[in-house]
Amino acid sequence: MPYYAKKRIIDIIISVIMLIFLAITLLPVGWMVFSSLKSSTDIAIGRVGLSRSLEGKVEVHWDNYVDMWKNVNFGLYLKNSIIICGTTMLLAMVFSTLAAYALSRFRFPGSDLFSNAILATQMIPAIMYLIPIYIMFVKFTLMSGIPVKGTYWGITLIYSAFFIPFSIWILRGFFASIPNELEESARIDGCSAIQVFWYIALPLAIPGIIATGIYIFLTAWDELMFAWVLTNADTMTIPVGIRLFVGNYQNRFDLMMAAAVVATLPVVVLFFLLQRHIVRGLTAGAVKG
Amino acid sequence: MKRSIKKKKSLWGRIKQYRIAYYFIAPTALAMLFLHLSPILQGIYMSFLKLNQLTLRQYLMAPFIWFNNYYDVLINPNSPIRIGIFEAVRNTAIYTVIVTIGTLAVGMIVALMLNRKFFGRPIVRTLFLFPWIVPTYVTGLLWGIMWLKQGGLVNVLLVDWLHLLSAKPSWLSGPNTIWAIIIPTIWRFWPLSMLMLLAGLQTIPDELYEAADIDGAGPWTKFWMITWPMLRPVWFILVLFGLIYNTYSFNIVIMMFGFGAGFPGEWGDLMMTNIFRNSFQLWNFGTGAAASVLLLIVMIILVNIWFKYFKQVEEMR
Repeated sequence: MPYYAKKRIIDIIISVIMLIFLAITLLPVGWMVFSSLKSSTDIAIGRVGLSRSLEGKVEVHWDNYVDMWKNVNFGLYLKNSIIICGTTMLLAMVFSTLAAYALSRFRFPGSDLFSNAILATQMIPAIMYLIPIYIMFVKFTLMSGIPVKGTYWGITLIYSAFFIPFSIWILRGFFASIPNELEESARIDGCSAIQVFWYIALPLAIPGIIATGIYIFLTAWDELMFAWVLTNADTMTIPVGIRLFVGNYQNRFDLMMAAAVVATLPVVVLFFLLQRHIVRGLTAGAVKG
Repeated sequence: MKRSIKKKKSLWGRIKQYRIAYYFIAPTALAMLFLHLSPILQGIYMSFLKLNQLTLRQYLMAPFIWFNNYYDVLINPNSPIRIGIFEAVRNTAIYTVIVTIGTLAVGMIVALMLNRKFFGRPIVRTLFLFPWIVPTYVTGLLWGIMWLKQGGLVNVLLVDWLHLLSAKPSWLSGPNTIWAIIIPTIWRFWPLSMLMLLAGLQTIPDELYEAADIDGAGPWTKFWMITWPMLRPVWFILVLFGLIYNTYSFNIVIMMFGFGAGFPGEWGDLMMTNIFRNSFQLWNFGTGAAASVLLLIVMIILVNIWFKYFKQVEEMR
């Protein structure tokens, strides 16, 4: 057998294995959507397929979504999640870009301490923060009269502070992968440090900043523990809402899956709109170290 | 002349020179001071206090009991906090090791398969990323339903369709539980490893492989002698953050079992769920804080070992 023919056969075999693997990977997501369209009795008795009505028509329960939306007040949770995660994303993007740029371009006194502190924050279990922050919020309100717990800005502040360190970590790698020469020649031509940052470094870093922003949004969208303690009935986010719902409707798996699908949909849309930037932005730093 | 002045700049002079850098990090540094350092110091102090639902109003004024909380967590056989703590530590260790290695291995295999030229590669890569965008709380819920004994996808696949097993196992009780939490976590996190490793693979020059071909090296040798060492910076980061995040894993387990209210069983309980239960259901905030501090110490040691190991590997080259 000639060399290239053998190579081609191996290539086809690998492709087939890959497609099987892709199917296995996507199967759970398909199962989620499929389960959300079943009737609750079908799931309870463990029937695999969709049931048929008396006339033999397959019953697709789109009404699960309507039921879920009515039962769970999902619109409110969705609005809260979008407001909180969006604001967090913007805040954290701005401040982590600034800090990451400073860390990757200047070796100022204290820069080592600062970057070590950033890594150290990642090692602390989140549960350690929970009670101190809760009590700080309550005490601040007692002293100043300004409500913090249960407001949008309280939880946004906490999320921003928690996601900034890891964002700096990603963005610093991205800035390090951008060659420095352009900025140096701009400095020689008489640009101020701010001008160099604004007109040269920032435009080059846009893919990295977008990728980091999406990463922050996904992480904030996913956060359960702090939202649980620091939000109230009006500012509750999707994970807290779903958890409450799950506690009340233990065996309505159909509605649960409908809620899960709706909770996943916004991030899926966001991801597919911006996926090109994600791949480039998240990986540039990792490779260059 | 000018250069010599620059060299002798005092610390104050250097701080003035880099003024701009301090402006840039100021907001982050402030946030870290008030929202990281301050709570963590309070948390450590809390671990020395008798803090429960009766004394929570006094908070830091609660009675100071020295190392009693640590005694309760580590030694005291009669303390209620010790129920299930051994199992939680064991499960967390097994879970962290298998999930970290598993995400790395699956990510590596798929990255190698994707690192070829074929039709539709960008689409396939994007589709492979799908699990990574599914929120972890949804992952927990979804797999909780997939593991169901009757009508769950896993049993349907294994027993009804492929006939690999004769009887339907129950996944959400007994020793099977550890797999019921490990597999969803690997499913959720391997795409990120794949993405990073694939980016790393694309930076390895082809000449290295060509040279190895001339020497008659097989694919196995090529992988361990070229690919794996060249990907060093990538897997260093992946193992580092895998270690940290998997040890502190919470969402998937809490959503899968009893949907936040129940007990995951002695093979499904992790450190974070254990501490959470002790703090917010038994109201033992002091002992919860002590357990967190111990966990933090272990984490610092592990991360340091990993850094040391990595430095050694770097020097051996």
